[in-house]
Amino acid sequence: MAANNMGVEKVNYKNKLKDKDEDIYILALESSCDETAASVNKNGLEILSNVVSSQVDLHKKFGGVVPEIASRKHLELLLPVIDQALAEAGIEFKDLDAVASTYGPGLVGGLLVTLTAAKTVSLALNIPLIGVNHIAGHIYANFIANPEIEKPLICLTISGGHTDLLYFEDLRGYQILGRTIDDAAGEAFDKISRFLGLGYPGGPAIEKAALSGNKTAIYFPRADLGDSYDFSFSGLKTAVMNYVNNEEQRGNEIDQNDLAASFQEAVVDSLASNLIKAVQEYKVESVVISGGVAANQRLREVIAERLKEHNLELYYPPLELCTDNAAMIGAVAYYQYLERDFAPLSLSAEPSLKL
Amino acid sequence: MLILGIDTSTDILGLALMDSGQLKGEYNLSLKRQHSEKLLPLIEEIFELLGVEAGDLDGIAVAVGPGSFTGLRIGITTAKVLGRIFSIPVKGISTLEIMAAGAEGEYILPLLDARRKRVYYSFYQRNGNKDNNFLKEVKKAASAGISELPQILNEYQNQEISIIGEKTAEVRELLVENNFKTRIFEAEKNLPRAAVLARLGGDYICSGQADDIYQLKPAYLKIPQAEINWQQKYGSK
Repeated sequence: MAANNMGVEKVNYKNKLKDKDEDIYILALESSCDETAASVNKNGLEILSNVVSSQVDLHKKFGGVVPEIASRKHLELLLPVIDQALAEAGIEFKDLDAVASTYGPGLVGGLLVTLTAAKTVSLALNIPLIGVNHIAGHIYANFIANPEIEKPLICLTISGGHTDLLYFEDLRGYQILGRTIDDAAGEAFDKISRFLGLGYPGGPAIEKAALSGNKTAIYFPRADLGDSYDFSFSGLKTAVMNYVNNEEQRGNEIDQNDLAASFQEAVVDSLASNLIKAVQEYKVESVVISGGVAANQRLREVIAERLKEHNLELYYPPLELCTDNAAMIGAVAYYQYLERDFAPLSLSAEPSLKL
Repeated sequence: MLILGIDTSTDILGLALMDSGQLKGEYNLSLKRQHSEKLLPLIEEIFELLGVEAGDLDGIAVAVGPGSFTGLRIGITTAKVLGRIFSIPVKGISTLEIMAAGAEGEYILPLLDARRKRVYYSFYQRNGNKDNNFLKEVKKAASAGISELPQILNEYQNQEISIIGEKTAEVRELLVENNFKTRIFEAEKNLPRAAVLARLGGDYICSGQADDIYQLKPAYLKIPQAEINWQQKYGSK
């Protein structure tokens, strides 16, 4: 994988490395934010088990993920989720061909839990260690859900930590067309949700409020970054805050739902416009959205509508693969295995890893 | 019985292999914040140097702090996973106990710097009984201001107290001013040594005192700051 070239490690693994025509079983682990997850994949896209233990309720009262609390919980949940993933897959440690973990981006304390666990499995069983980029995982979640997806394709991947527009010739590599220059889209949702007192996580909270609001009530400006495919959301965030402060100073009552709907519409419009611009320039067969924000129904609706005139279908992963999970990490790991893209035991967590 | 000792609780990365009371090898490396990058490569290296395989292990001893939370989770995760894969016992041992067990004397005060003129401490009495080699924890691990220590230890003023670990010079000076009898140790003894951890782990495991790997966690001694802030604002629960 182009963006994750760790080099081939000089180690004599227990067994001969397998080729594409043999069955390959990978244990994948993920703990980059507030889900502790483990899965066993067969040949990449066949998911034998996918166990996710969410801590979201634990962090709700703080209005966001508290890194130290998350790290403590990951350590507690580590063995139970691994056990369950192996049991549901009907697999034992000795059957594994490789072990994978997310190594970034994310919260360093959390990342280190499953990364250390994966390194230990690699050492103990003498099987390759594969370090996976979490963002790539979100993209490959689509290929698990839709194995028939046609290439080349454009992918918009959006979450609390990133906003990237990518071009895929095939599943082995990608080209980055644009990314956010400041806040990620999901980060904007979280910040505005907290500002409005709508709670955490911000995406679903805003989306819920927006359902009862008028999306054209307030017009918020969309960032204009000229010819580039980049995104920007910090100006929008400031515009919303200024609007609320001004209205409050004038003693006007604010309709939270209208505000949420108008804000959401501005985010969705920015994302969709850049995506459509890319679709027009690159001749693609499919369009994919991924990441936590891809769960937003309004975003899916707007993009699907605008793709109609290009006769293109929009793919997105099913809800259970939209949130953080380990099956998607295992899917990426399989392609890295085929490329012999293995990591040394000295692999560090990279909290701000990019695609 | 082959025991691997793993200590990532402080700046020192400690690794030791103890085979039925015989030390096969030991690392005590002052690596500061490199435990994540260095731990597994060093385990691989010590195995290779000593001709051991992970599957040969009969038990794991791991330091559970007090110490750096992130560091502790690295060592404990490694111990849990090795314990799980090979179905071998794992024993978590206080970093303070490791230091105390490596020191001489009847009354031992191990210390770790908790910053801002505070220390993590516990207070041990060495058991004279030959059949029971373990230290008795007279005062449980806690944090305290350095200036509070004479008061905390006042009933032991007539005993000689062995001070080991961090902040020893400062604490010794204060205790001597308060008419305590103390002793301190040379540099090579003044740290949690991996060999002591592995030996203690072996002793505990042999006496049937292994931990449940599913419950094993660091001795945090402090709830997360976000929780403290929340409780101050809203009360507990």
